[in-house]
Amino acid sequence: MKLKDQFRFIRQNMKKNRMRVSMTILATAMGCAFLIVLASVAFGLHSTIIKENLESPAVTQIEVHGLNDGEGNFGPLNDKNIESIEELNGVKAVTRQRDLSMFTYSIEEYSQSASTVQSHFPSMTEAGIEISEGAYPKNKNEVMVGYHFALSFTDPDAEEIEYNEFGVPLEEYRYSENLVGKTIDMELKTVVDGKETIETVPMTVSGIFEAPAREWSQDYSVYITDEKYNELAAIPGLTGEFGEIEKMDYYQFATVYANTLEDVKPVVADLENEGYAVYSIVSEMAQINMFFNVAKAGLIFIGTIAILIASIGIFNTMTMAVTERAPDIGIMKAIGASPKVIKRIFLLESSYIGLMGAVIGIIAAYIISISVNLGLPFILMQVFPEDQLPEGFTFSSIPLSLILIAVAICLAVTILSGVRPAKRATEIDVLKAMRREL
Amino acid sequence: MIEVNQVSHHFRLGKKGQQSRLDVIKNISFHVQQGEIVSIVGRSGSGKSTLLNLISGFIKPSEGEIIISDEKVSEFTESEFADFRLKNMGFIFQNFQLIPSMTAYENVELPLILKGVSEAARKQMTIDMLKTVGLEHFQGHYPSELSGGQQQRVSIARALVLEPPLILADEPTGSLDSETEQDLLRFIQKLNRERGITFVIITHDDEVAKIGNRTIRITDGELAESGVFV
Repeated sequence: MKLKDQFRFIRQNMKKNRMRVSMTILATAMGCAFLIVLASVAFGLHSTIIKENLESPAVTQIEVHGLNDGEGNFGPLNDKNIESIEELNGVKAVTRQRDLSMFTYSIEEYSQSASTVQSHFPSMTEAGIEISEGAYPKNKNEVMVGYHFALSFTDPDAEEIEYNEFGVPLEEYRYSENLVGKTIDMELKTVVDGKETIETVPMTVSGIFEAPAREWSQDYSVYITDEKYNELAAIPGLTGEFGEIEKMDYYQFATVYANTLEDVKPVVADLENEGYAVYSIVSEMAQINMFFNVAKAGLIFIGTIAILIASIGIFNTMTMAVTERAPDIGIMKAIGASPKVIKRIFLLESSYIGLMGAVIGIIAAYIISISVNLGLPFILMQVFPEDQLPEGFTFSSIPLSLILIAVAICLAVTILSGVRPAKRATEIDVLKAMRREL
Repeated sequence: MIEVNQVSHHFRLGKKGQQSRLDVIKNISFHVQQGEIVSIVGRSGSGKSTLLNLISGFIKPSEGEIIISDEKVSEFTESEFADFRLKNMGFIFQNFQLIPSMTAYENVELPLILKGVSEAARKQMTIDMLKTVGLEHFQGHYPSELSGGQQQRVSIARALVLEPPLILADEPTGSLDSETEQDLLRFIQKLNRERGITFVIITHDDEVAKIGNRTIRITDGELAESGVFV
């Protein structure tokens, strides 16, 4: 019996009980739609987070926190280490920093205390780190300042200063002019033989860094050149907020910039092989992926339960069909239909119900998913007007892989639910069936 | 064509553990030659229908062997017998056994579908066969819209459409009036004469049995007599 004829046969049989078959298809479609919509939430949130991370410039950055000395202790990095890292394949630049200390800076009557950090500006330029305003320092008396530093010069005589939600002084309490090109005074305290001396060193602000990518991160630092660091650290008795300053010939922190996203993984592997303690968003993304994959599997499992419930309906429909058609099956067997053909017809019928249910379920799931993605931001805006959803936020996403998984589960479950009735059909006794005794 | 060698068959009746054995066919042997019309006669409960069911493969003999067209069919599996029936046997039943949800055309077409005949060839063969039985104008009718005689002719068309060498008929005239019965018997003789089809006819009616070249009489499951009646 040809497959085409088997399908024709199935359609003919299904027409006889249109209402019952339609209800079974509907139940399967609901189960399938439930599975897809449920899992689409995990897929949607996952894609939003991945997209946000991939669009962040930090995605190609690898933070290097220290080097293993071979005994499990991590020490700081020196110039030799930096050079060897720069030679690795896929590395674009290595920026490095060392803290001097906290110092007080002032302009006109405004002042603030800020961390002073030596930075290697040529590698920052090479890494393509963008600045908000101005340019990188060209001489030792120029400095870069952090985005929040530029907003935090306040009047020390002001009685009470008000701050915004990010801890930045409100405009009326702070120095309002643009700092770029302005000279700020760094207050240096030296203590030699118990004698304390304070002098000011003028520095020109050549540029202001961009605000940190993360909303919660703030940058109040002043960044000085290598040359200036060496000059300041060499001043005898120079004392910061935490005591006398000692010149460091190592870096506390370095950031490796990979050429492309694809280079991040191999560079991380190379660094780890050489004993560096590293961190990158890509490593974090692997954990995020793991978490969401577990969540997706869990939600698909829950959704499968809905399809299993629908499969009870299919089992019932198929069992009824076998009982009702027993005399016809008996006649077919009598004139030469083999048990294999009978079994195949019933299995095809249950798969047909499953497939129809899956197709309708997929269409319904897409409609629900699109409606949720369009409607949810609107509803959230009405309920929580002060909160704003991230740009490109996707609550529900239905990738092709989810469709294929849902169709596979739906077909597997519906075929399995048709196996027992199909087997029963093959076991029908020809003589009893023809005597209408079944 | 058909060799029935020392075939016996029994049923077990009653609950498990308290079953009794009922011997329905007792050590029967006979031959049917190619092109013969053989009538198997006997009273109700004599075992003649069981004998036909054994030859058809609907039940397996408890003892003995059945050989049809040199194939030992009594040892066939269910699937093998289904395939053998499709290729070698046609059936005419007392109650016609047409599928009620199918038209006359679809009922006749069914064996061709099972055999995997192409759609175009199927259409031609089905219409030709309906013409042969004089029902070409009733092809779209459902069995419930046909008379008993017309239904039996659809049943014959279905049995003949694959041109099997052997047709087994179980009380073929049992549901027909005497005039239709005579038409049917003449038609069977014509098919036998013109196409050389072998017929095995089960009947309790001696008049019907007379169309056979040979009659086998069964009494209480045993072969009572076998001979030629003119």
